Amino acid sequence: MSAHHTNDSIQHLYEGDQSKLYSGVMAHHTDINSADSKKQVGRIWKVFWILLVITVVEVVVGMFFSHTMPRALVNFFFLALTILKAGYIVSVFMHLGDEVKSFMITVLIPLVLFIWFIIAFLFDGGFWLEMNTTVPIR
Amino acid sequence: MSQATTAETKVWGGGRSPFNVSYGKMMMWFFLLSDAFTFSAFLISYGTKRFFSEVWPDANSVFHAFPFMGHANLPLLFVSLMTFILIMSSVTMVLAVHCGHYGDRQGVIKWLLWTIVGGICFLSCQAWEWTHLAHQTGGLWGTFVDPATPLDKFEHFFKHGVVTAANSSAALEASHSFYNYFFTITGFHGGHVASGVVLLIMALINTVNGTYDKRGHYEMIEKVGLYWHFVDLVWVFVFTCFYLL
Repeated sequence: MSAHHTNDSIQHLYEGDQSKLYSGVMAHHTDINSADSKKQVGRIWKVFWILLVITVVEVVVGMFFSHTMPRALVNFFFLALTILKAGYIVSVFMHLGDEVKSFMITVLIPLVLFIWFIIAFLFDGGFWLEMNTTVPIR
Repeated sequence: MSQATTAETKVWGGGRSPFNVSYGKMMMWFFLLSDAFTFSAFLISYGTKRFFSEVWPDANSVFHAFPFMGHANLPLLFVSLMTFILIMSSVTMVLAVHCGHYGDRQGVIKWLLWTIVGGICFLSCQAWEWTHLAHQTGGLWGTFVDPATPLDKFEHFFKHGVVTAANSSAALEASHSFYNYFFTITGFHGGHVASGVVLLIMALINTVNGTYDKRGHYEMIEKVGLYWHFVDLVWVFVFTCFYLL
């Protein structure tokens, strides 16, 4: 850790001059009681309530309705809400939504691989189940 | 050089960060990206095994206990509490990051402390759940492997009437896989929470010592925060895959 460095140039070599890097909510501010600060805190709590309500809805559906509704519908519902929650966490809590657009894209594009990853492996599992139940053991 | 390319040259022409992030923060993002693939490999292989099995344990039947509530049937309630704790600790973390942006040392200390408390609460809940599952259901890594295991040892993990004599060996294997995946994945996640708590304590010590004030910025809080939010993010998916789907 750099706790004991007093040399500014060393500091700047690997940490960079932060004031040149960030803008918007991630820039350096001074007054924690300013209107901007209060607005950002308000946004954080709003996302908290959204996440809480989504989780409560998920649990209620999981407890009382998941046995009577069609399975595919329930699964779609849960996955959609999960991705919504993930979106809020990444975009607001992790501040990815406040980053430069090119950086956002750089982080998000590799996630496209999941489309292949999930489809290929789940279909493989389904295929083996079918082989096990329809093809007699030699 | 034409006028149209000037802006482009400025962004990527050196002398500045084209992404407007420091090296450390960018590498934290790339580490988290790789960790996301590790966790998803676990969860997708869990899904593969589940698709492979004729029958699969029902979350409402496996997870239905709550501390000090005896044998009351309270499906999903305890894990909802754990989820709430983790979401709450994410909020206190992002508030610490926010105070860091404003150079508010007391605020950072306060919210970091709450985040650490949240992390420790979550780990305690997980310790209880693991102990409960191991003692009450007999499930742990490598359990339910003996083909002679009587039906009444595992049929209650499934929805009522699902397990029959015809599929009992598949149900036994599914119970074995379910517990292996459950303890591996929640264990790997719990390990992340534990190391996150260690990182938070280190950041707290640095904040108290004024290290970040001397440095002129609280970016380290932001980097630790990214890791902590990622741990919350993973839990969102673990929660869905194990308890809801």
